[in-house]
Amino acid sequence: MSTITDPRGYWGELTGEERGVAGFLIAAVLVLLGLMLTGVLDPTYFLFLFGLGGMFGLMSLGLNAQWGYTGLINFSVAAFFGLGAYGAAIMTASNSPIAGDMNPIFGLLLGLVLTAIVAVAIGIPTLRLRADYLAIASLGLAEVVRLVILNEGQWTAGSQGLRGIPQFFEGWPVLSTLPETLPQVNIEMIPGRVVTLGLPFWRQLLNVSLVLAFMVVAYLVLRRAHRSPWGRVLRTIRADEDLAKALGKNTYFFKMQSFVLGCLVMALAGVFFAHLQLFVNPGNLDPTNTFYVWVAVILGGAGSNRGALFGGFVVVAIREGPRFIDQLPPAFLTEFPPEFLRNLEFITGDILFELPSIAISPGPLQLLLVGLLIIGIMRFRPQGVLPPQRELIWPDAVDEGVRQGPDSGVREQRGGESDE
Amino acid sequence: MAVLDQLIELTANGVVYSSIIVLGSIGLSLIYSIAGFANFAHGDTMTVGAYATLVIFGIIGGTSISILGLPLGFFLALLSGIAVTAIVALVTERVVYKPLDIGPIGLLITSIGVAFVYRALIQIQFSADSRRYDIDRLRPIDWLLQYNIRVTEHDIAIVASSIVLVAGLHLLLQHTDLGRKMRATADNPSLARASGIRVRRIELWTWIIGAGLAGAGGAFLGLFNQLVPRMGFNLLLVIFAAVILGGIGSVYGAMLGGLLIGMVVELTPILTSIGIPIGSQYARALAFIIMVAVLLVRPQGIAGEAVGGGS
Repeated sequence: MSTITDPRGYWGELTGEERGVAGFLIAAVLVLLGLMLTGVLDPTYFLFLFGLGGMFGLMSLGLNAQWGYTGLINFSVAAFFGLGAYGAAIMTASNSPIAGDMNPIFGLLLGLVLTAIVAVAIGIPTLRLRADYLAIASLGLAEVVRLVILNEGQWTAGSQGLRGIPQFFEGWPVLSTLPETLPQVNIEMIPGRVVTLGLPFWRQLLNVSLVLAFMVVAYLVLRRAHRSPWGRVLRTIRADEDLAKALGKNTYFFKMQSFVLGCLVMALAGVFFAHLQLFVNPGNLDPTNTFYVWVAVILGGAGSNRGALFGGFVVVAIREGPRFIDQLPPAFLTEFPPEFLRNLEFITGDILFELPSIAISPGPLQLLLVGLLIIGIMRFRPQGVLPPQRELIWPDAVDEGVRQGPDSGVREQRGGESDE
Repeated sequence: MAVLDQLIELTANGVVYSSIIVLGSIGLSLIYSIAGFANFAHGDTMTVGAYATLVIFGIIGGTSISILGLPLGFFLALLSGIAVTAIVALVTERVVYKPLDIGPIGLLITSIGVAFVYRALIQIQFSADSRRYDIDRLRPIDWLLQYNIRVTEHDIAIVASSIVLVAGLHLLLQHTDLGRKMRATADNPSLARASGIRVRRIELWTWIIGAGLAGAGGAFLGLFNQLVPRMGFNLLLVIFAAVILGGIGSVYGAMLGGLLIGMVVELTPILTSIGIPIGSQYARALAFIIMVAVLLVRPQGIAGEAVGGGS
């Protein structure tokens, strides 16, 4: 609210990191808007990317509730994401061996129930383990989940995957037909370059609103939980589990709750993915995805929900960016008249001919970037870009009088409250 | 007797596979015991060894002399591949791990980044397609076939080389000054330092030996199957299972654990034959479940005394 009434004051209250991230976000939004209005970036594709970003944001929120709040090293993110996706797909896909063609709401329910059951089943043995053992054990059990989905074709259709998944809102009263009723909009910013917003765009917009709804719900629930007495117990466990035990807390039980809660949020991301891609296969449970989510959480700052969301979007930028480097230059260059290109060739010499050399397949390049990012963060900023600070303090607990003062109150609290 | 025949055949394969796992797990365990963290880049270190051997073998080429169906040039390439892997690990240790000021969990996460960088660079250079060494594939040895053992001379070479390497490590640990210092450092770094051992130097040697063995394991894995950029990453969890079964941090435990886990993975088809409906597609899953069970019941592993404390 203060953002609107007093933007300058709000800006002044931000920490340096927050300003940096906010500036970065504003710049990114401007660049993307520019690209879209000039027709370089297809708005529908942008919405698809935004949906992916929201999906990764959800997964990182879930992981943050485990690693950031409680300190659980969960390396089975991809498995729970996959369970959510498969839960949705088994109920709704047209080639589902069990159910199929049902209302997506049932898929959502099955995804969540399945996830909760498996989360408890994996949690029972592993949550007693020491941190690094938990990492290895959860990675191993995630692989078991993947193998089951891959090999139990009578439930999951095996390696061919489940296809023919409907949009999430299919069968809903108004929303299922809403995209068809919306008009086609043409935007012409640059003469001769019309950007058309038609049916695919509105469909995708509906998808994005779904992931936004998931995100908002997850964010609010998790933030509330983090600040509550329950969340404080989790933070104590992360800082010193023996202390939490000494205070009479059943830490195993708390860890289990935090684990299941996080896994459910990951499953939401999976449900969304099934209805975004309209197709799932066992490859979606690739353990590499787990580490992408880890990068998002570490980048954002363990324990910080905002950071987790931010990290999720950055990871998608890294994942999808290399595809752009691949495709952008040729598509971009052909937009210019040939004589201009010839000049460019003249000016830049052989640079133009070097362009294809960037075209290594996007897979390894994103892997390399993510790898370097992990090493870079751990080296230079292990606490992440947005470590949790005052958001851990219940708003009412901050004395209003103190808040006015420039160098006390909130500001002091900020320094002391970061987890790591 | 069909089951017995199958058992013999699978056991023979299991020995070959196990010897590769053993080479991987010793390195992982050594690095855990001295550097104090679970190195998730260890599988990709094996991949580095495989591809280094591939490149060097391509340069040296085959020679007329060959041992066990492998040209002498391959063994030279293998030794150079081991050296390259050790150097890569040393450089990584200096550039990446050493400057970090974070706990074992931070190092663990960093090692995932290292694993990605290794794999990405290999994939950029060699593409994701599978490759083979330029060596003719051999038929199983004829006179062993009558006992239902299908192994090639290459398999024998893998097992023999692994035994040489493992025996060499045993002699090094038990009978040399360096080995004693390594054991002392793994046991109690502070005490080792206080006794005048240059712990830093021991750490570097540990990385050299651990990565070198991993490189050899990777090269053999390439010979046993083929080379793909994901080969090491895919094997990593099996190696973790072996190390944990043996007792993380214990070298001899890693040998035993590697042997057992390798056998479990290769012998899984026998379960179907004796009526337990767990197919070979779940071989790896079985290894992971054993791993979790060991962590729960006996976290110090079968060979471990009280190493359970870790770092």
